[in-house]
Amino acid sequence: MPEWLDIVVRSLLFLIVLFLVTKWLGKKQISQLSFFEYVTGITIGSIAGEVAMGLENNIFYGIIGIVIFSAVPLLINIVSLKNKKIRDFVEGNGTIFIKNGKVMEDNLKKEKYSTDELLELLRKRNVFQVADVEFALLEPTGDLSVLLKKEKQPLTASDLGLPVAPIKEPQTVIMDGEILDEPLSTIGLNRNWLKGELSKLGVAIENVFLGQVDGNGQLTVDLFDDKIEVAAPQEKPLLLANIKKCQADLELFALSTTSAAAKEMYGRNARKMDELLQIVSPYLKD
Amino acid sequence: MTIGSQVKQSLASVKSIEAILSSLTVQSEDKTAKKAFDESRVLAARVAEDLQKRVGELEREEAQYKGF
Repeated sequence: MPEWLDIVVRSLLFLIVLFLVTKWLGKKQISQLSFFEYVTGITIGSIAGEVAMGLENNIFYGIIGIVIFSAVPLLINIVSLKNKKIRDFVEGNGTIFIKNGKVMEDNLKKEKYSTDELLELLRKRNVFQVADVEFALLEPTGDLSVLLKKEKQPLTASDLGLPVAPIKEPQTVIMDGEILDEPLSTIGLNRNWLKGELSKLGVAIENVFLGQVDGNGQLTVDLFDDKIEVAAPQEKPLLLANIKKCQADLELFALSTTSAAAKEMYGRNARKMDELLQIVSPYLKD
Repeated sequence: MTIGSQVKQSLASVKSIEAILSSLTVQSEDKTAKKAFDESRVLAARVAEDLQKRVGELEREEAQYKGF
């Protein structure tokens, strides 16, 4: 076998081995490397490179090395899933940098972080003033997790006591002009419904680049032809406006009628419409 | 426009609100949303019922505007 062919074979073989090993180790390897995983990752890579190019090395020795370097971390991972003490030892603990709004200088020193580095980490989390922070923790991965003081946190609907509609994940039902049947049936809709909605919007299915349906069954589309303006969904704002109008009309009738019985009836129904408005308005606002 | 026709118009609006609400009830996936739409549909139906009665009374009073 000529040497170049040998390299081709070895490279292909190790590509496959590395692919299988990384699949085996799972997603965690990429998303959050602990120091240990970082080192084993580099070692596996360099073993593969070494054996692929160094023709005097035995291929199987290389594979043995890779398997050991991936199997041992995997084993430790499995064990540490079960045991908190081993997990703390292998993956490390978080270090508290700020507690009750006060910087823990000793912990900073212990982790060898300077004040500038702390400020830099805080700025990465969009915090420019240490006084805004209630609690900050340096994760074992080197990220800083920050809990802002309550008054510095973004306002939420529950802070305001605002009733809001629950949210469901949208489903993508059209991609590149093709209808995707599976997501469509997940939300209990079918092709006929979709065609009806598209004709309501006045667009052809071939022209739709992307179409999504939200949790309330409202279709939004993006077209290939960007010169065409798609009307925003009108149904809900229109319904809200109609309910308000009916309510106001009923009140007007109640005021203008001379019959006492009719006045009472209109007034009662105006209150019903008001109640209706209270119930549905969170669901009709975007 | 007479009061009769105004009330008829309102009746039509309430009926359309009821119809849209019932279609939203069917379409929404979330249980609380379904319930809210259904509750409000029932309310709209009751309002429509009362208005329908009133339309009948008004038609008797102003027989010349009797419609459908």
